[in-house]
Amino acid sequence: MGVLSVEARVSDWASKSVGAVWRRYDLQLTIYTVLLGAIGLVMAYTNSVEDGSSVLDAGSTFLRGLMWAAIAIVVFALATVFDYKWLKTFAWPIYFLNLALLGMTLVIGDGVGGSARWVALGPFTFQFSELAKILTIVVLANYLAARQGRLNSLVSILGACVLVGPAWILVMLQPDLGTSLVFAAILAGMLFMSGASLRWLGALAAGTAAAVPFAWTHVLHDYQRERLMSFLSPTPDIQGAGYQLYQSLIAVGSGGWFGKGLTNGTQNQGKFLPVQATDFVASILAEELGLLGCLVVFALFAALLWRVLLIGWRARDPFGLVFASGVGSMILFQVIVNFGMVIGVMPITGIPLPFVSHGGASLISLALGLGVLQSINIRQTRAEW
Amino acid sequence: MTALAPEATGPDRRPLRFLAFGLVALIGFSGLTARLVYLQVAQGQTYATLAATNHTATQSVPSARGLIYDRKGRLLVTNVPSFSVKVRPADLPLAVRGEVVAQLASLLHMDAADINVAIDSNPGSSFDLVRIAQDVPESTARLISESTDSLPGVEVSVESRRNYLLGPLVSQIIGYEGAITGDQLARLKSSGYQPDDLVGRAGVEQVYETQLRGTYGTEEVERDASGRKVQVLSTITQAQSGDSLELSIDTHTQELAQKALEWGMKKAGLKRGALIAMNPQTGEILALVSLPTYDDNLFARGISGKAFAKLANDPNKPFTNHAVAEHYPPGSTYKLVTGTGGLADHKITPTTRLITRPYLTLGGARFWDWNKRGFGACSIMCGFGHSSDTFFFQVAGMLGANRLAYWAHQYGFGRPTGIDLPGEVSGIVPDDAWKMETLGQPMFGGETYQAGIGQGYDVATPIQLITAYSALANGGKVMQPQVVRRVIGPDGSVVRAFTPIVQSRVHAPASVLATMRRAARNVLLVRHTYNFVDMPVIVAGKSGTAEFGLRDSKGRLPFHSWFVGFVPKDPHKTKDDPTGLKAVSRTDAQLAVLAFAYDSQTLGNAGTEIAKYFIQLYFGVKHDYRLPQLLRRDNFYQVSN
Repeated sequence: MGVLSVEARVSDWASKSVGAVWRRYDLQLTIYTVLLGAIGLVMAYTNSVEDGSSVLDAGSTFLRGLMWAAIAIVVFALATVFDYKWLKTFAWPIYFLNLALLGMTLVIGDGVGGSARWVALGPFTFQFSELAKILTIVVLANYLAARQGRLNSLVSILGACVLVGPAWILVMLQPDLGTSLVFAAILAGMLFMSGASLRWLGALAAGTAAAVPFAWTHVLHDYQRERLMSFLSPTPDIQGAGYQLYQSLIAVGSGGWFGKGLTNGTQNQGKFLPVQATDFVASILAEELGLLGCLVVFALFAALLWRVLLIGWRARDPFGLVFASGVGSMILFQVIVNFGMVIGVMPITGIPLPFVSHGGASLISLALGLGVLQSINIRQTRAEW
Repeated sequence: MTALAPEATGPDRRPLRFLAFGLVALIGFSGLTARLVYLQVAQGQTYATLAATNHTATQSVPSARGLIYDRKGRLLVTNVPSFSVKVRPADLPLAVRGEVVAQLASLLHMDAADINVAIDSNPGSSFDLVRIAQDVPESTARLISESTDSLPGVEVSVESRRNYLLGPLVSQIIGYEGAITGDQLARLKSSGYQPDDLVGRAGVEQVYETQLRGTYGTEEVERDASGRKVQVLSTITQAQSGDSLELSIDTHTQELAQKALEWGMKKAGLKRGALIAMNPQTGEILALVSLPTYDDNLFARGISGKAFAKLANDPNKPFTNHAVAEHYPPGSTYKLVTGTGGLADHKITPTTRLITRPYLTLGGARFWDWNKRGFGACSIMCGFGHSSDTFFFQVAGMLGANRLAYWAHQYGFGRPTGIDLPGEVSGIVPDDAWKMETLGQPMFGGETYQAGIGQGYDVATPIQLITAYSALANGGKVMQPQVVRRVIGPDGSVVRAFTPIVQSRVHAPASVLATMRRAARNVLLVRHTYNFVDMPVIVAGKSGTAEFGLRDSKGRLPFHSWFVGFVPKDPHKTKDDPTGLKAVSRTDAQLAVLAFAYDSQTLGNAGTEIAKYFIQLYFGVKHDYRLPQLLRRDNFYQVSN
């Protein structure tokens, strides 16, 4: 039956005119995505400006950003054209591919201080845990869509947890606390939006909260505890664990209304911020482009989330809705936690700011997620809601 | 939502949950915006200030160190630009330190141990630079400054270093600079000293550190997170160059002194020696040689630990200025004190004759004259001239230990002369109080005898002895010896003009001092110093042979030999004054000379031979009066007192 219906849909698709497809193409989603990506490139540019070398020098952050952006555009286009229904067919292979990639990262990966986060691909490095977020959303969306109607049961909710569990554990083992928290946020967001029982979700949340003390002593590493504590401390140790936050607050605060101007940030140029092209890119954004720049970025994220949810609402099947919820949850969570981190209202966990933080894996995963959303959108049944 | 065709069913849309999602987003973005407004608008000014202090720093600008000239204006020390390699320990991760140090060691041709010692003895914080190599070749400096990735925390800077143009010839006077120590830094930080500063460590580089250094300037610089200077924003205060020094040393005289001393030491096989030439009227040191010595350029270029250890462990102490920083028994030269005391305290008159027997007996012990025979009935002229020990035993006995010590102090013994060189020691003038304090007993009679001939507890530095004979020569003024004549400002103005400093006066009648000067001339006249008297330059002085240390298998002691004397203003013998006794009666001496030969087991007095040769060279005497056969190595103590 499945095969037949797929054939029918393919012919259905083929019979539509290019114009009709184009009319359903969400241009706004694309525009917001491109604008956010452009801001990411601007940030890569300002992070590459350094005395004595050109921003276009081989290996510069900006040049690598451009390259990843080009790849991301291709990925986005391919995902748009690809019929997302096939993802259901390939859900299990994708699931195991995901675990294999994470397992490989653990074995051959590299990272700071004995961690295993990146896999070297020639001269580049790739963080498969970023891709794992999207792949997990695919698998989870497939599962929740299939169980639509039975989502009031605890079994469905626990099933979703069990499905995410192995990937989550592999990420925790790297160890990458930030990404594992994103997994949790994606799971929670997708369960919530798919219509899972609020009662059971509440119970699950309470259970998680109860497990925090255990996780604090047995799961977290010293440096993770230190970072979390330094965020809570009223007088941070500015020479030690609190150094990053202290420097970040100086960068953000000194930005003022309009910022110091691109490439003029003294905190940026003086390299006072660690990982300022990736995790702390928002500090540079706030320093050089000011409150105004930050509000523009917030507005773009809000608009993008609006389009993502709209696509979910308009989707003709549960998969589309749940998938959109997953992507939306992921983006929202990362924006709030990353931005909150650089302004001292969230602990330092190493979660990238979508599109703006430099990083190929993050950008390509986002392009993949949004491409699939676009694919869902142009294959919707109704044009209005 | 029918069971028949679940695939065709639309999704289970829940508007409230979409609304809730939107609400979460709204709350999140509002929270972030509120916090941003607080940080960037409400607290913006505070953070702007913090950002400014974060990336700017006040940094000191080294001043040009003062130069050093000799009394004739010859340049002795200059500054030359050179590359230094420094390490900021905070930027050198511990994990790669071994690797980086090994790499630096091979690039700089240094011992890795020296680099580690330099880093570990850093007096500042780990954020301060530590100098590990100086005078690095330009090619190596470029290589290092271009490998910042493989050499984290390593920096190359251009500094000026000292160039000691005459090296070992004047190193004992000029000294050298070395890295500031933690103690010094703590003391000098308020005077603007930096953790990677160099400070004078010896010679006038040390004594005149403040004048030479000048005043460091300050500038505001932009720096990055690792403290590296990005650019200079503004100069706050200009650096003031240090003052220059004009030494009282005459390089030419110094060369002659070194030549004479080296000759004598080589002939006699000596390990240590000193020669001083001084203007007895003013205290200006014209030449001061202490051998063995070292090349101060070793320090200016960055001495290796091995080379330093070799010099520091040399038993003959090349780092020690033997003319100033070591005291030795003065032997018979000290009879000046005993004679002056005897005359001034009226124990003897210039004509009093004392019977000098082969030995004196005191408390069952025999105190022998050096020739084992005595000189018969002897006046002060005869006793000083022949250096009769039994004569001065008797005078010392008449004076007693405390009066003898009094007259020693009158000549400046037992306290530093105040020469502007570091490490001066005081010597010892024994009296009852000193002995009670040190050994818990008063002076015994025999010890007083010994003290009267510059043996026993007596010890003095060469600079004290020449100062004492200068006082004799100039009529009783104990001058403070000075090696720096003038301090000259960077603009050429005289900051400190030369002023002779009279430390004290010998409170003896002028006639007593005149008698002692004639007695000193008599030392040469009686040919106690062989052919010295034949030289066409009038010299008065006293030789000395001073036993020290432990007896050899034949019961003989090793000894040092001395000569200290002076030359009158008109050094030529005249028909009117063929002996030169009239010339030395005056107080117009132009030159005082001291030669010291350490452990000189020679047939004759090595000190006398060295001093004679120096005077011959200094006055350009054509005929050679040297008697090298007297420098044959042997222990003929009894022959040449």
